[in-house]
Amino acid sequence: MEQQSIPSTKVQRAMRFVKTGAQIGGNYIKHYSKKMVDPSTSKDQLHEDNATDVYNALSELKGSALKVAQMLSMEKNILPKQYTNKFQMAQYSAPPLSGPLIVQTFVKAFGKTPQQMFDSFEMKAANAASIGQVHRATLNGKELAVKIQYPGVADSIQSDLKIVKPIAFRLLDMNEKELDKYIKEVESKLLEETDYELEYKRSTEITLACQHIPDLIFTNYYKEFTAKRVLTMDWLSGLHLDDFLKTNPSQAIRNQIGQAMWDFYDMQVHTLKSVHADPHPGNFLMQPDGKLGVIDFGCVKEIPADFYLYYFALLIPEVVEDVSTIQKIMLNQQIITENDSPEVQQIITGAFVKMTNLLRAPFDVDVFDFGNNAYINQIYALGEELSKIDALKKSKEGRGSQHALYINRTYFGLYSMLNVLQAQIKTGERNWKAPLIQFHLGN
Amino acid sequence: MKTKLIQAYIQYTLDHNSTPQSVYLFAKHLDMTEQEYYNYYASLESLESNIYQSWFEASMQQCSQSEPWNTYSAREKVLSVFYTFIENLKSNRSFVQFLKQRDWKPSLQWPSYLKDLHQSFLLHIQPILAEGMASKEIEARKLIDSKYAEGLWLNFLFVLKFWIDDTSNAFEKTDAAIEKSVNLAMDLMGKSPLDAALDFGKFLFQNK
Repeated sequence: MEQQSIPSTKVQRAMRFVKTGAQIGGNYIKHYSKKMVDPSTSKDQLHEDNATDVYNALSELKGSALKVAQMLSMEKNILPKQYTNKFQMAQYSAPPLSGPLIVQTFVKAFGKTPQQMFDSFEMKAANAASIGQVHRATLNGKELAVKIQYPGVADSIQSDLKIVKPIAFRLLDMNEKELDKYIKEVESKLLEETDYELEYKRSTEITLACQHIPDLIFTNYYKEFTAKRVLTMDWLSGLHLDDFLKTNPSQAIRNQIGQAMWDFYDMQVHTLKSVHADPHPGNFLMQPDGKLGVIDFGCVKEIPADFYLYYFALLIPEVVEDVSTIQKIMLNQQIITENDSPEVQQIITGAFVKMTNLLRAPFDVDVFDFGNNAYINQIYALGEELSKIDALKKSKEGRGSQHALYINRTYFGLYSMLNVLQAQIKTGERNWKAPLIQFHLGN
Repeated sequence: MKTKLIQAYIQYTLDHNSTPQSVYLFAKHLDMTEQEYYNYYASLESLESNIYQSWFEASMQQCSQSEPWNTYSAREKVLSVFYTFIENLKSNRSFVQFLKQRDWKPSLQWPSYLKDLHQSFLLHIQPILAEGMASKEIEARKLIDSKYAEGLWLNFLFVLKFWIDDTSNAFEKTDAAIEKSVNLAMDLMGKSPLDAALDFGKFLFQNK
């Protein structure tokens, strides 16, 4: 019932986009007619108009269409900061599953009803997950969490993406081949999230590899109660970030939790080369004694070796300061291309170096205070600054590798969570830099 | 014995890709006399019509014996009936498809072999709706509320057809179709803005 106002059918959603498309068309007409009268009219007003219409359209959309539109616009910095913040956690939002549908899902997956499989099973959902819901159950005295997915999510994602493509194409002003590269990346990740058997596999792998990290806890998954659309694990206690902060945890506890989170990502990125790419507060549970529970491995990004070698080298000062090496990296990462004029190459390289210098600040010191709001605001401001660079705005090329999409999102999420947590993190003393320096600078 | 005859009938149809042409041939195939056959069914048509009905009755029984049934609201009971019936239909999908192809013309609302199913359906759904009305989950509306069960029957036919043509993995789309269509039907039967609108309209009509 509460979903009434969301355009839910494909036709309705398509209509929304058509409307937005028409409005943006209208904005262009407005712009050019103004320009005829007053040639000095800048495109700023146009961009502002567009951003507002995009925002209006997006705010009425739910589901994967929103997520994709949002990720793509983050990449091109089309949406102003307030908007991207708002959409940061956009999720596929399904209506709650009815009791009989839950039973039906179990019967299909296991040939048994949940009541037959568990000692007890609560028909009322305890939590809404991104594409389904979580139920409490017990078996042999153990408390379990059972995640159940709404039917047809994968199909819905695919049809949503067909709708989002033409509009994204218009909005982002990118050529089709470039855009496809990004859309495919997002689509494959979204579809992976609908496969709970894959999530089971990944969570057991990452859990095993990260077990030794202090203060980090994982939950135990049950293979025999897992299927494409059902995932069963031990119930993990703890509070989500917002609620946890309401309990006024001490600075030491906040640092401890933040450190666990930082070490977790450090291990994944530099050792496993495979990363939990959805660091938003809903996926972490925090306990009063400073332990951090990790749940939901739906979105895992595997980092290709070649991409790793080049992209993470940007975090090393010695590499960035070497002019020929930085150019090599920029070309390799398709941030600049051979087709760009030397001036454009220089402007874009300059902007990226400025950005990476800012982003790598935590890596340059031994202890970094993420509670420093000025730092986080600087990152936001930089995003907006980048979006104003003409050379980037005019470019029809997608800048940067598609792999960067999820990696950037991961770090963006990580930094902003650590900021909310106001944690001071020991970030120095990492040995991952040596092989990268060796690779790029030779000795 | 009736169950056996139904099984044999389905088997025969699948093996021959055609329903038996006469009671004589069917009885002969079963090594029984025609006379014996008539003890159970008056014709081949009456047997055919009994097939869906027997499936539905079995599903109803399964539903009402399931653990959460008594805790379910009317909405959940209806959903549960739909899901269980469609799930049970799976083991006879080929036969169901065969019958649909044979004589469920697009112009036809429903073929004659669903006649008995229709009766059974109304018989079982009406008490559930009455329960819903008693608990105010469903709004009693003069003149219309007697048609609620028929409305759900149309919904049921829609789901049945949808499932027959569904090609999605594990018939996931049928699940979504059931969930969404039944929820809509139940929402319409429940108290809705429509009631307020009608009430307001009536007021204006009387006071102007």
